[in-house]
Amino acid sequence: MLALVNRILDWFKSLFWKEEMELTLVGLQCSGKTTFVNVIASGQFNQDMIPTVGFNMRKITKGNVTIKVWDIGGQPRFRSMWERYCRGVNAIVYMVDAADPDKIEASRNELHNLLDKPQLMGIPVLVLGNKRDLPTCLDEKELIDRMNLCAIQDREICCYSISCKEKDNIDITLQWLIAHSKSGGH
Amino acid sequence: MAFKRDKKEEEDGGGNPFENIEKTSVLQEARAFNDTSVNPRKCTHILTKVLYLLNQGEQLGTTEATEVFFAMTKLFQSKDVVLRRMVYLGIRELSSIAEDVIIVTSSLTKDMTGNEALYRAAAIRALCSITDVTMLQAIERYMKQAIVDKNPAVSSAALVSSLHLARSAGELVKRWVNEAQEAFSSDNVMVQYHALGLMYHIRKTDRLAVIKLVTKLTKQSLKSPFAVCLLIRIACRLLEDEDGAPGADSTLLSFIESCLRHKTELVIYEAAHAMVNLRRTTAKELAPAVSVLQLFCSTSKPPLRFAAVRTLNQVAMSHPSAVTACNLDLENLITDSNRSIATLAITTLLKTGAESSVDRLMKQIASFVSEISDEFKIVVVQAIRALCTKFPRKHSVLMNFLSAMLRDEGGLDYKASIADTIITIIESNPEAKETGLAHLCEFIEDCEHTSLAVRILHLLGREGPKTKQPSRYIRFIYNRVILENAAVRGAAVAAMAQFGAQCPDLHENVQVLLARCQMDSDDEVRDRATYYYTILALKNRSLYNSYITESLQVSIPALERSLHQYTLNATETPFDMKSVPLAAVEPLVSEIVAQKAVPEGTIMSTPAPQRLGVSKEESALELVSSIPEIAALLPQLGPIFRSSEPVELTESETEYVVRCIKHCFARHLLLQFDVLNTLSDQLLENVRVSLEPAEGYRILREVPIPRLPYSESCSAFCLLEFPQDDLSASTGTFGATLAYMVKDCDPATGLPDSDEGYDDTYMVEDVEVTLADQVQRVWKGNWAAAWEEAANLCELEDTYALTSMRTLQEATTNIVQFLGLQPADRSERVPDGKSNHTLYLAGIFRGGHDVLVRAKLALADGVTMQLTVRASTPDVAELVTSAVG
Repeated sequence: MLALVNRILDWFKSLFWKEEMELTLVGLQCSGKTTFVNVIASGQFNQDMIPTVGFNMRKITKGNVTIKVWDIGGQPRFRSMWERYCRGVNAIVYMVDAADPDKIEASRNELHNLLDKPQLMGIPVLVLGNKRDLPTCLDEKELIDRMNLCAIQDREICCYSISCKEKDNIDITLQWLIAHSKSGGH
Repeated sequence: MAFKRDKKEEEDGGGNPFENIEKTSVLQEARAFNDTSVNPRKCTHILTKVLYLLNQGEQLGTTEATEVFFAMTKLFQSKDVVLRRMVYLGIRELSSIAEDVIIVTSSLTKDMTGNEALYRAAAIRALCSITDVTMLQAIERYMKQAIVDKNPAVSSAALVSSLHLARSAGELVKRWVNEAQEAFSSDNVMVQYHALGLMYHIRKTDRLAVIKLVTKLTKQSLKSPFAVCLLIRIACRLLEDEDGAPGADSTLLSFIESCLRHKTELVIYEAAHAMVNLRRTTAKELAPAVSVLQLFCSTSKPPLRFAAVRTLNQVAMSHPSAVTACNLDLENLITDSNRSIATLAITTLLKTGAESSVDRLMKQIASFVSEISDEFKIVVVQAIRALCTKFPRKHSVLMNFLSAMLRDEGGLDYKASIADTIITIIESNPEAKETGLAHLCEFIEDCEHTSLAVRILHLLGREGPKTKQPSRYIRFIYNRVILENAAVRGAAVAAMAQFGAQCPDLHENVQVLLARCQMDSDDEVRDRATYYYTILALKNRSLYNSYITESLQVSIPALERSLHQYTLNATETPFDMKSVPLAAVEPLVSEIVAQKAVPEGTIMSTPAPQRLGVSKEESALELVSSIPEIAALLPQLGPIFRSSEPVELTESETEYVVRCIKHCFARHLLLQFDVLNTLSDQLLENVRVSLEPAEGYRILREVPIPRLPYSESCSAFCLLEFPQDDLSASTGTFGATLAYMVKDCDPATGLPDSDEGYDDTYMVEDVEVTLADQVQRVWKGNWAAAWEEAANLCELEDTYALTSMRTLQEATTNIVQFLGLQPADRSERVPDGKSNHTLYLAGIFRGGHDVLVRAKLALADGVTMQLTVRASTPDVAELVTSAVG
């Protein structure tokens, strides 16, 4: 009964207040960040992408939630600037190319470096292992292990294995994000 | 009434809403950019404040700027057009201060290729301001597209930005020449102009390509008047170049002439301006241009009248006859309601007019001189200066006028230019000296500019003692001691001491005054007074000469450094003044002014900024100390005594360009070879210049260039010892060859194809070591006294016949240049119409030997010269006499 009342309340709220959330998308180059933004925005997958020089800013509306995405370039020269765009966002999405075992270690180091910044304390993190359509891809468990995600205790952290190409698990990713639009802001 | 008050309020304040803003509070406000939802109005306002601060010259630190910059990048989420355009401006302003500005590259490329027309041009300009050379490749495609864009604003922005980029990445921008070519055929006047600018810039270093471009374009008629103006300027550049291709000249000239008949006034003026400013135009070629300017003089449009009369004014000295033709029109402009035009007209007439009209024009000018701005008053003063050299007999009228101007209100620049003019008159015209000094004395009685008062006091100290009645100046100078600030008091004390030293009658009086100055409240003034009092009390003429009349001849920064070094190592030996390098002699006031006057009228040239206050020797020492092999030897070598001007050892268009600079030490000679590699497919290694030294020289050390890639210039060094026992062997010629190892390499990357290379040599011209390389010029304030004093030194005398010289002036200039000594008492200038002349020279030979030379010249068939040399050792005297023969 209580659940029903809550859902009606939520529906009323959504009529008057549109939810807004802000998230920052980082990760090493060629892990599929800009592709991911395109997929969740318009559902289009494009094989030929050029590296992002700097950042892209996109606004995406899903239901009653407007998501502001800061998609930051992953080349080494931009990594020092990630932190500036992660301050005060509702969630940090960290993209990993799960099919490239050589880069996992570098990716892990960059993630832990980023999360050590005191300014970013408590911000929820979603780690996405992209390219699960490829045969060499790690699954969630292996990824959690290789990325040493268990060591991160001071915040909410979640890990999915997705494929932008096959649109695999994109829906649960969006659900997670929308869920964090309500709680994260406050 | 209410309306009136409102208007008044508007005038006295409230006009500037940003008057009271502060940096810290604005930076604080800028944090609002980080808010989750952006308020465009508020953010635009804050951004305006940031831009205002930056344009007011407020300095932001790197962290502050980076902070603001990144906060500003958050504003890209807003779709507000005004705000976005403000962000572009902000990016451009902060791009040079903030770090990591390339972060906005992607956002800007999106805007410049997007649909919003209002974003595109501004985004291109912002993008080019943040791009560094490494990122250029990434945006090249977008730039090429933008250059040929249909929208003229976009195309113009891309072209102008390319010009800016060419400064750092010339090679890359060169590849955009086809796009520029396409943009050039645009219908828009601005685009065509900017495209021509870029096309010219890309070809600028290749003379033949420029000639081809210009000859092609002169044949077609361009739509854009701006482009035609630029074409005229480029054509002038080509004409001014010394080695103009024969044949091209006449077509270029006829093109410029044809522009005189263009339908746009802008182009007509540009062409006329170009014609009269060309160095090599003849009177016949000039006539049509002058008649155009003459026509402009009587138009109803003030800007055209102003432009025409200003141009005539500039060339009045170089083409007096042409300008005289316009005299009637200029006379009409004297009463022009625009004072700037009237002033220029009168000063032009002054420059060209006859002696008889001077009085009338001066009266006319006096009637409105108080109404014009300082800037134009300076133009008047310059005209008067020119007049004084032309009509020396008119000096009393002009001097009176100048002194009246001196008494008027005016800024420092204006007053300084008047004082300069009076000083020039005093120096060039002995008759005007006494009146000039009197006017200056009167002026310093009521002069608010310390720097000017100090200069005039110095001049009084130098010239006053040589006048008929030196005593009259003492009162003026001593008044300064009573009334003025410390800097002026110090200068006055020094000036009085000059009188004490040079006028025996005044010695006692000056001593009394100096004794009083010892009670001054300022340290410096007291010290000076005590110093001069003590020396004057000794009554020794030679001490006067070396410590009062002659100023300090060493270079001050070098002295400071030597003293600092001396205090660092505790030694018992006293400080040796001779170890300090001498200062290069500064040119006289009049020469500086003459040099300054040249760049005016040439529009496109940007004179290389000189590093002021640092002598050649200073900068050479800096360079040499950075080479470890040489720096280790420096303590043995002592200070650099003299560095020569660079001498080219190759033609300028050869494979390798070699220049030589000779640094002379007390007993050693250091040759610096600047080598430039102009071959893009070669990497040179172990580059050195192998020398065949003249007899008696010994090579001590060679420092090769380890690696010399394409288009870089590096220096190789060779240290030699001067011949020890025979001084006359120290002038000579060294055969020189450039020796190196060549490695072929890929022109694009500069990386060698293989590790194998081969040795090669390249002949360069001989290096000559002359007497002038080994002496430093010294300015003697009182040459005659120094000559007397040197009477007991070694003296040598010889007579020469200089048959190749036609005039005394030519001979004088050559001797000064050849011996490298400093002329004293303005003796380097031969008065007109004299058949004999005496030249006084002074200098110091390396090792600290004084050299004084007197050359008596007589004009016969050729020039006969009697040369007397006084030097501290016979060797040096002999070397000087033998150098002339």
